[in-house]
Amino acid sequence: MSEIAKAFDHGKAFIAFITCGDPDLETTGKVVRAAVEAGADLIELGIPFSDPTAEGPVIMEADKRALDNGITTDEIFEFTRELRENVRVPMVYMTYANVVFHYGIERFCKRASEAGISGLILPDVPYEESTEFKSVCSQYGMDLVSMIAPTSADRIAMIAKEATGFIYVVSSLGVTGTRNSIDTDLAPIIANIRANTDVPCAIGFGISNPEQCRRMASFADGSIVGSGIIKIIAAHGRDSAGPVGEFVKSMKDSIKDL
Amino acid sequence: MTRIKFCGIRCSSDTVKLNKSPVDYYGMVFVPSSRRAVDRDTAVNISCNVEGIPSVGVFRNQPISYILYVLETGALNMIQLHGDEDEGYVREVKERTGLPVIKAFKVTTKEEAVEAEKTCADYLMFDAGAGEGKTFDWDILSGVKRPFILAGGLDADNVGEAICRVHPMAVDVSSGIETDGVKDETKMQRFIEAVRKADRECGIMSDNSHGRFGEYGGQYIPETLMNAVIELEEAYNRYKDDPEFKQELADLFREYANRPSRLYFAEKMTKDLGGAKIYLKREDLNHTGAHKINNVLGQALLAKKMGKTRLIAETGAGQHGVATATAAALMGMECLVYMGVEDMERQKLNVYRMRLLGAEVRGVSTGTGTLKDAVSQCMREWTSRIADTHYCLGSVMGPHPFPTIVRDFQSVIGKEIREQMMEKEGRLPDMLIACVGGGSNAIGTFYDFIKDEQVELVGAEAAGKGIDTPETAATMNTGSVGIFHGMKSYFCQDEFGQIAPVYSISAGLDYPGIGPEHAWLADIKRARYVAVTDEEAVQAFEYLSRCEGIIPAIESSHALAYAMKVAPTMDKDKIIVVTVSGRGDKDVAAIARYRGEDIHE
Repeated sequence: MSEIAKAFDHGKAFIAFITCGDPDLETTGKVVRAAVEAGADLIELGIPFSDPTAEGPVIMEADKRALDNGITTDEIFEFTRELRENVRVPMVYMTYANVVFHYGIERFCKRASEAGISGLILPDVPYEESTEFKSVCSQYGMDLVSMIAPTSADRIAMIAKEATGFIYVVSSLGVTGTRNSIDTDLAPIIANIRANTDVPCAIGFGISNPEQCRRMASFADGSIVGSGIIKIIAAHGRDSAGPVGEFVKSMKDSIKDL
Repeated sequence: MTRIKFCGIRCSSDTVKLNKSPVDYYGMVFVPSSRRAVDRDTAVNISCNVEGIPSVGVFRNQPISYILYVLETGALNMIQLHGDEDEGYVREVKERTGLPVIKAFKVTTKEEAVEAEKTCADYLMFDAGAGEGKTFDWDILSGVKRPFILAGGLDADNVGEAICRVHPMAVDVSSGIETDGVKDETKMQRFIEAVRKADRECGIMSDNSHGRFGEYGGQYIPETLMNAVIELEEAYNRYKDDPEFKQELADLFREYANRPSRLYFAEKMTKDLGGAKIYLKREDLNHTGAHKINNVLGQALLAKKMGKTRLIAETGAGQHGVATATAAALMGMECLVYMGVEDMERQKLNVYRMRLLGAEVRGVSTGTGTLKDAVSQCMREWTSRIADTHYCLGSVMGPHPFPTIVRDFQSVIGKEIREQMMEKEGRLPDMLIACVGGGSNAIGTFYDFIKDEQVELVGAEAAGKGIDTPETAATMNTGSVGIFHGMKSYFCQDEFGQIAPVYSISAGLDYPGIGPEHAWLADIKRARYVAVTDEEAVQAFEYLSRCEGIIPAIESSHALAYAMKVAPTMDKDKIIVVTVSGRGDKDVAAIARYRGEDIHE
């Protein structure tokens, strides 16, 4: 049984994305704990990358702030291990292929699993390139989260059948970042996934308010919010834990009765 | 090109024969029950006498302590596990030896073959049995996605069929090159010839299917773009051999782009340098002033056939942006070009030129504000608007099929060089030199000659202020293997895989990566990549201007600088062709500033 499943076994899940080291790891620790206290069911810890090609400006800037402060992958492993001592919800890393590949896929996965990480999300590793990462992840009891996009069409069944952990459903075209509205007709995509697997699906990209969060979670198993949280951190810096906690609570409250 | 491993080298007479064979690896068997077994001392002796070929130690179900014992001698570069070793064992060997590990599998069904792919070994090998020299039904390998080594009963008569059927990354042979149990020099040479012949005939010179060049290439892009690149690949496969498409493109090349470009004998330069004869392939004389137009006309025509109405492109020096804006104007398409703000400052004239041609130019200020950031921004833009938009990538980089498509459109350069050289000299050149950023003019120059092993292929990359300084863009000389911008290749990066800020005086070579086919050509030692500093390039820029009355692009000046270095060391009957990828008008103001004169356009 995947560790990640625990995030989905008590109703709709709220998933929070937080960039490690933005503006410093101490703040990240406080923000993660505040998000979990406010009801987040799964935490995506972003490992910053110099050139995040799937991100919009908000997360790009967070990555830059963290890297400018000298954050390294090794420090993030150590930080995660400490976080794990009292954070009970599943946590996954979201980063880019090169961060894992250059560290050594084997060495990275070993250290990630030792730190208490349950899965990896690598937006630049599609189904076709997943084997070299997935085989190592599974040796260490981690899931490589599969992504499905509005353009996936005839690829949905193939991806869904081999998915483990959860499926990250990309809400709309483009990069990460808040959007005024999400117009993609996601119901047929979710139905297609459902016909092929029981692995839970969560929708992300562009969700920034409780209404959107509720609407997305209403036809999936959960909602993912990243840029919405990072914006708060960008505005409040080291004092972000309180405001992020309130924001997460409002999002989680919006999906509680679903 | 399919790599070759000669296995079962066991004595000094084998070593002599091996040294005459241009193969990629040789194997020594450390399994006592094998008739080809060697002991530790023999292995040391062999490895000391083999010249420049990496060695593979073959073991079967032996204690890891024994492998480590053999390794102490330094005689091995790779480990091959040819028994029933489990994953835990393989992992332990990897960790404790730190060497690449090949795991051999005996498979009888497609399912077993796909299962074997999950191994944590660096390479996988498929064999009919435990090295008994029997063939098996190769079709069961058809579903395998990872590159693999094929073994089992191969010889000069069947290896061609095997290569064309299953495209292995390498072939392993032992009994197939022996007569009465002894390595046979004639059979060894015949085997190599058969492999090269198959490579040529199956059209897999260096890319061995799945968009891979050896381990490099691939499609490391967001799921959102996957159907777009699949659609592009399908369209390309449909049109590339379509007579009508080929004719349209040939007409555009001839009537619009001014092809064929001249192959000019640089007589003054040759005399002055006093060595090899130097010819210049004049891509600078193309319409828009650089080789970029070759690729752009091909892609724009393809995009039009696909029903796309909008082109987006990245540009460094502005040459690719200008070419794309030109093609868009010609074909009545909308055009958006992303350019780093640093580069917009360095290449103001080209920015105006693109706008004049009707394109929108958007500055990219993220990251280092240079070419790599413009590529990233193009990828982001493409994910947000795919239906009507074609990403007209400017170099042999990015996700498959771009490195192949761009190479094919640029390969006209090398094809013309061959014809023109045969006409002028009646023979092939001895050396081709081209500058390399992503590497499109270089691969275009090299591609038609890859199979002609006597033609030396040299890429000149930008050393910036020197490869021992952080201000460099010399990827092959200073980088390491990574995954970025859709491909696995070499990149300039730090120990945590963060892409390094790179520097070169040339905005067109100022890129932290290199196309995957170049990475592969370097690995198999078919091409070599030299580093040329800003200062050397500027000197070559000035030299060609004064010596031949040709102002080359600062990018091309890197290739010329190496030619100036190497030509005097070569005999007068040798021939070098240097590709002058573009003209230098765009660089004049920047070079003046480099020399301390404050000229503004």
